[in-house]
Amino acid sequence: MSLVALLDDAGLTGRGGARFPTSIKLKSALETGADLIVNACDGEIGVHKDALVVAEHLDALQHGADLLARRVQWAAHRGSATERRLRNAGLRVLPVPSRYVASEESALVSLLHGGRARPIMRQAPISTGGKDAQGRRLRPTLVLNAETVWRVSQIERHGAAWFRGYGTAEEPGPRLVTMGGNVDRPGVYDSEAGVPMRDLLEAAGAVDVRGVGISGMSGGWLRGRDAWAATWSDAGLAPYGIPTGTGAVHVLGRSACPVDHLAQIATFAAGESAGQCGPCMFGVPAVASQLERLADGVLPAEEMLDLHHRLGMLPGRGACRFPDGVSRFVASGLRTFSAEVDAHLAGECVLMQERAGATR
Amino acid sequence: MRRDKRGEDEVVVDRVACTAHGVCSVVSNGAIELDEFGYPVPSRLTMGRRDARELVAQCPARALLIARDR
Repeated sequence: MSLVALLDDAGLTGRGGARFPTSIKLKSALETGADLIVNACDGEIGVHKDALVVAEHLDALQHGADLLARRVQWAAHRGSATERRLRNAGLRVLPVPSRYVASEESALVSLLHGGRARPIMRQAPISTGGKDAQGRRLRPTLVLNAETVWRVSQIERHGAAWFRGYGTAEEPGPRLVTMGGNVDRPGVYDSEAGVPMRDLLEAAGAVDVRGVGISGMSGGWLRGRDAWAATWSDAGLAPYGIPTGTGAVHVLGRSACPVDHLAQIATFAAGESAGQCGPCMFGVPAVASQLERLADGVLPAEEMLDLHHRLGMLPGRGACRFPDGVSRFVASGLRTFSAEVDAHLAGECVLMQERAGATR
Repeated sequence: MRRDKRGEDEVVVDRVACTAHGVCSVVSNGAIELDEFGYPVPSRLTMGRRDARELVAQCPARALLIARDR
């Protein structure tokens, strides 16, 4: 059986967050003789799984890469332990600036071809090649997340049925989850779609849960009570309008203000825009500045309409999906923490209200 | 927009190339609007082939393209 057919049987999808079927990407890559970039950057905030795959499963990872392409480059953040490990193994490393959009698929392809590590505007999948903004020709390049490549090697060794023994029929296979935030035991956990989120939260030692952020800046939020009851899968999180994405789970404790947190992340996001596409370059900082004022309790309630309008203007208007992710992340946070948002609109903070309530 | 017997094309905005001159909004008679920062909305628009060519030719940033998938 061909590897394409095997991966199709297994139902492997990209572990970098986009969930695109790996077999389809590979089929196209084989037709065009594409090079492979193994993306071990853990570019999403709060994600550390690729570092773990490189640290603990490098042999299997290399085997997976060898199965997929003849020419392989290993993308890792410059100066990271992962970069060092890959170099020590004698692999061809593509050092990537540790900026959010630098490890986006087309940004890595641009960087590999001597360009800047910034996303490229494209009309066809970057895996089929193309041209960058300077008109430089780009070789067809397959970009796969490091966990995805590791899963390829596992599927080749253990078979599609073994893989499908994990997860659900729609979202098969084992998956890594990175637990962080207000937990006693942060780190990377072996998991799979369909498990109760309670299991993940208990394993990591989450106690005092106000809310749970899923998949960093490309995901969204659940209230604590919903997080304890939800199922860990795209289907399970669909009612909340968020994907499992990159598999990051960030626990926000009761003592943290979610409005402050949203403002901080949005301000970080504003600095992480590649500054290429106007709607992102100007839109994300505008959103961040409104959130900062909301956090400070000085945003007039009527400006919430502007904020929501601006969030609605971000998706689908960049070369990459970064503005789409930020929009979803912030909108989900405002929806999920509406009580805390209302308090801030009244010039107060729930934390102070709750503290006052506790001492009364 | 004029009707065009030669069929239709979809014009897409190259987001990286676009520098918010706003010419597209004028040339398209407002079929393309500008957001608060001067960038075009929507990102893709179907129109008569002749109008599409003209619109693409008028963009000073060469940031409008005829969609390849049509």
